[in-house]
Amino acid sequence: MNPEFERNLWLELRPGRMIVMTVVLALAFFAAALSQGFFAGPGEVARWGYFIIVVLWGARNAANSVVGEIRAHTWDGQRLSSLSAGTMMWGKLFGSTAFNWFGGAICLVVILAELVQEHGPGVAAIELVYYLAIGVIAQSAALLASLIAAGRRQARTQFEIFLYQATGLAAAVAVYVVWLIADPARSYLLHVERTDVVMWWGLACPAQPFLLLSMALFAGWMLTGCYRQMRLELKMRNGPLVWLAFLLFMGAYVAGFDVWLSGNQALTNLDAVALRLLLAGTVYGTLAYAMVFLEPKDRVRFRWLGSEFGRFHLGTVLANLQGWMMSYLAAQAVGIALIVWLGRASLLQDQAIACAMLGFLTRDMGIVVLTNARKRGGDFTALAVLFLLYALLPAIFASLHLTTGLALFTPRPTDPVWLSPLAGWAEALVVWIVAVAAIALPEERAKPAAA
Amino acid sequence: MIDVRDLVYEYPTTRALKGVSLHVKPQTITALVGPNGAGKTTLLRCLAALEPPYSGSVTVDGRDTREAPRAIHALLGYLPDFYGLYDALSVRRVLSYAARSRGISPALTASAVEKAAGRVSLLDRLDTKAGELSRGMRQRLAIAQAIVHEPRVLLLDEPAAGLDPQARRDLSTLLVALKDAGMTLVVSSHILAELEDYCTEMIIIEDGLIVGGNAIKVRDADRPRYMLEIATARSDLREFLAGRPGVDVIEADEYHALFTHPRNSAARARLIKAMLAAGFEVSSLGESTKALEEAYFKQVGQAR
Repeated sequence: MNPEFERNLWLELRPGRMIVMTVVLALAFFAAALSQGFFAGPGEVARWGYFIIVVLWGARNAANSVVGEIRAHTWDGQRLSSLSAGTMMWGKLFGSTAFNWFGGAICLVVILAELVQEHGPGVAAIELVYYLAIGVIAQSAALLASLIAAGRRQARTQFEIFLYQATGLAAAVAVYVVWLIADPARSYLLHVERTDVVMWWGLACPAQPFLLLSMALFAGWMLTGCYRQMRLELKMRNGPLVWLAFLLFMGAYVAGFDVWLSGNQALTNLDAVALRLLLAGTVYGTLAYAMVFLEPKDRVRFRWLGSEFGRFHLGTVLANLQGWMMSYLAAQAVGIALIVWLGRASLLQDQAIACAMLGFLTRDMGIVVLTNARKRGGDFTALAVLFLLYALLPAIFASLHLTTGLALFTPRPTDPVWLSPLAGWAEALVVWIVAVAAIALPEERAKPAAA
Repeated sequence: MIDVRDLVYEYPTTRALKGVSLHVKPQTITALVGPNGAGKTTLLRCLAALEPPYSGSVTVDGRDTREAPRAIHALLGYLPDFYGLYDALSVRRVLSYAARSRGISPALTASAVEKAAGRVSLLDRLDTKAGELSRGMRQRLAIAQAIVHEPRVLLLDEPAAGLDPQARRDLSTLLVALKDAGMTLVVSSHILAELEDYCTEMIIIEDGLIVGGNAIKVRDADRPRYMLEIATARSDLREFLAGRPGVDVIEADEYHALFTHPRNSAARARLIKAMLAAGFEVSSLGESTKALEEAYFKQVGQAR
């Protein structure tokens, strides 16, 4: 058996705890059945029980599976172990939550029994996949958040554990709300407009299978993310192919929802191809921002990449690009494609805004790299600078009626049209010159050792 | 076994290691000494391939920590200064997990657990929960965790902290036994007396730098250090000793001399006989028990 899973079972599945869980749940179902409408029936109690035990509590245990080790000073021992990243990841994800899944399984039996009785085995099977997926997504999102924080050496306090748990809960809520769209029985709960079809790449896809497949795919990517992050914690290297595959998936998946933007007044000029490019570019830009903050900004690595680039070892450089770099390059590639496509319809103002967006994206990446170049932990400085550039200074300029000057801070329509792209790219150039200089500057010279 | 070249390591606000270079020979016990905050723990973590160097290189058994950290992990046992144990598990399960997670097959786990527990004298506590052990026993269990897979290199960060005198003596015996079994050990401490009994080499680290630039040999099994004392002052003590075969004088004054000499009782008897014949009133001659302390203060004194 997986040693990490087995160790967690030793800790989690103690007979006393299992008996208490079984008795408490049995009493809850019994009380619900006896209440005759005063409480919800056993099925509804089981649903709430499942969400509390597997999603709410399970996400916390998953987050704690790494952070708890760090706090207990056992994580270094685990990092030195010969367990593979996959063994460690599965062992932690399903071992630390074994007790939650034990309780969840009891709840699922009640839920499925009710569903089979009321709607038949087909609906019960679909709901089973949904419940398992929402549990796995919540727990793996919490584990992923805690692993990313561990990589940044920021996973210590109870409050931080709560944040990782909250990440898992946010993922679960997103799944819950999206699922309600296709649920004929419960969509009224959150006043979500119910639909039987989802338009994707111009195809009318049946909603439930489409959402179920989407959920499974995102759960798969979440687990892949946990696995790759665990590899980094165990000092293994990640190649670029998986992230490139993720980018392709995200671009293709999100671009398929162009019909959502077709009613937007500001985008009436754009055809379906332009909207799809805009969606893909936006998701790549968003991933670039997310990853540049989440990934470590290692000056030694940047220098090494620079030296390899200088020697034209392009294969080595491409194989060692970080996630944010690949996302940024994908955003640029899709952005250029969008500009070319818009040029066919002579949409000069839209081309200029797209060009400006790419310039400001480049500038912002440079700001994050620059603030981290000479010291670790420069992300807060970067966030403060971006807040200044995107919120405070534009607000001041706007209140002074200096509307043309707003083009210095955000992509916007200007007269002349080249002003906004010029501002974005000029700022990007300046920031990157300073950032490269800061990275390339020699470090503080070490004192010579006493002879 | 371990080579470090120009190692620089930085924390967000401070440079902990400022260009450390050192070499650790195989099957030795090297003491890593220095005041609190000198960089000992950081250096050990770099040696364990847990922290990547900012610049410079660390190789263990010819493998670079940046290039092959997992291969180095497989060679290592590491006891951090703040170690953790799974308090809710029994000693047997703690060691079983350590063995299995370090690649020992299920069939061999039980024997590995018993061997490790036996080495740290915890065989009679195998079914006790780790949380119920005394501080000294917990320390021994933590060491057993680090050696259960018979690593080739063992890094110990302040292993004797909080141990009583008997437990320290047991620890010394264990470490020497591990060295004799073929392990290379690096042991950090800021208490010299702790290391005196078992270290063969010493690296002094201060403010992120190696004092003296390299390891100092503090103990040679074949040529131990001897401390000689004479009852009446003689200004020619150093000169006389230096002229005797096999004697290397480290330091001497009119009453005392510290020197190395072959570990041979007949040779030692001949030396005493020659001294008495030359009119030296030898009042004591014995193996120096303060070798580490003397070497430390000599190096630190020279550096300052």
